[in-house]
Amino acid sequence: MNIFMREMKAHRKSLIFWCVGMIVMIISQMSKYTATSGDGQSLNTLMASMPKSLQAIIGSVSFDLSKLSGYYGMIFIYLALIATIHAAMLGADIISKEERDKTSEFLFVKPVSRNKVVTAKLSAAFVNIIILNIVTLITSIGLAGKYSKGEPLTSVIVNLMLGMFVLQLIFMFLGTGIAAVSNNPKGASSLAMGILLTTFILYNAIGMNSHLEVLKYLTPYKYFDAKNLISSVGFEPVFMILSALIILVLFTVTYVFYRRRDLEV
Amino acid sequence: MNMFLHELKAYRKSTLIWTCSLISVVLLFLAMFPAMSKDAADFKKMLDNYSPALVKALGFSFDSLFSLLGFYSSVTLMYVLLCGSIQAMNLGTSIISKEVRDKTADFLLTKPVSRMQIMTAKLCAVITSLVITNVFFIAAASLMASVVQTEAYDYKIFLLVSLPLFFVQLMFMSLGIIISVLVPKIRSVLPISLGTVFGFFILSMLSSSNGDTASRFITPFKYFDSTYIIKNSAYEASYSIVAILFIVVTIAASYIIYSKKDIHSV
Repeated sequence: MNIFMREMKAHRKSLIFWCVGMIVMIISQMSKYTATSGDGQSLNTLMASMPKSLQAIIGSVSFDLSKLSGYYGMIFIYLALIATIHAAMLGADIISKEERDKTSEFLFVKPVSRNKVVTAKLSAAFVNIIILNIVTLITSIGLAGKYSKGEPLTSVIVNLMLGMFVLQLIFMFLGTGIAAVSNNPKGASSLAMGILLTTFILYNAIGMNSHLEVLKYLTPYKYFDAKNLISSVGFEPVFMILSALIILVLFTVTYVFYRRRDLEV
Repeated sequence: MNMFLHELKAYRKSTLIWTCSLISVVLLFLAMFPAMSKDAADFKKMLDNYSPALVKALGFSFDSLFSLLGFYSSVTLMYVLLCGSIQAMNLGTSIISKEVRDKTADFLLTKPVSRMQIMTAKLCAVITSLVITNVFFIAAASLMASVVQTEAYDYKIFLLVSLPLFFVQLMFMSLGIIISVLVPKIRSVLPISLGTVFGFFILSMLSSSNGDTASRFITPFKYFDSTYIIKNSAYEASYSIVAILFIVVTIAASYIIYSKKDIHSV
């Protein structure tokens, strides 16, 4: 419990920064939303008939921007991006910081097993990402009520936030897994960020070219596509299973490799 | 000179990795161009059935956007800029702060060199590393562009839209340097640089819809508007001036602050 509290306190300031960033982001984007009236109907059909690759270039994604849910779906990927960057960095940092700050000797001469240390650290990281998620959820729902003009949005937002939560988990465990395996404690968060950036660019590339559709299993951002979560498609079982598998593997990797780790002192 | 070479060597691997990733991004996106250009041609044929007024209401010029230059500048460069800015900001933030973090500040600062010289050597090393990245990037991009081109394009404009990568990198680098001299001790560089770059990136992605000029000054990603560059084959004077001013002022301020800074010893 001491280690848990200590980690919570160590990450309190950065968590506040991330929450404020997230809130500012949501407020600034939601306040820009102005519902377009229905006279663009013929324009909409024309846009819809446009090839996907061209749509991606002019920046119109296939969301119905006349509704707030569509608009929220469009900004969702950026919210998810912020949350996953936080999660990946937190995960990598929380495991590797003892070696980076040369405090591992201090920690591991205490009468706690390595498993206990990892459990405490993981729980602290877990609570952190939950807090960020809940802050996002509450801010979104609060603002949606203000701008939605009666459109029921709560269930859509809850769905999207659930998706975002799984994304956060995936990237958090990616961070911890890498930090547990890699020999260089400083390189862990760089590597996690490299992977995150690659999957993000891949996500955008897939949106532009349908030939790349097969690669969608490689990028977690595609698992929880806002388009599906808003519409009736919802969560796809294959991606749910895949996410669970990824999380489980990375979770095990974190424990197994950290227990055997040759700590750099 | 020793410090300069030492820094260059220390960042050799990271420069190599970043250069390779920038090149792979540009290869990935440019490789999609032939398919996209076919889509565009089909769609253009279809557009002929619609009334010209409606086509005009779409609000973009078809030929410039879906040409090689349009595709390269609007889609490809966006991600290249994102990666390049992270590289520059990382370099800028870490180069000064790493001495304190790695506890080598004592070693370095007791040598018979002034802090000005240290700063200059480090700055030159960062800029050299960025120049190397840019040279290789532009070479690879030009090569790939000539492979995938469907019709001739203006190479001068191609260079003009590619060069902002370097300018934006310089802006993020100087931002990183001033942060690293202002903050007493930076434990890890990545959260700072990633937070800043992604913050600006997301701002620029979402502000593109409304074309107000004032908000364009906020994010470096918006300083070099490719549509304007392609149309006029020049940069917008006001933004270029602000960019230069920003770089000069931050670097000068960093020199002054660093020469007076209280450096934490072991």
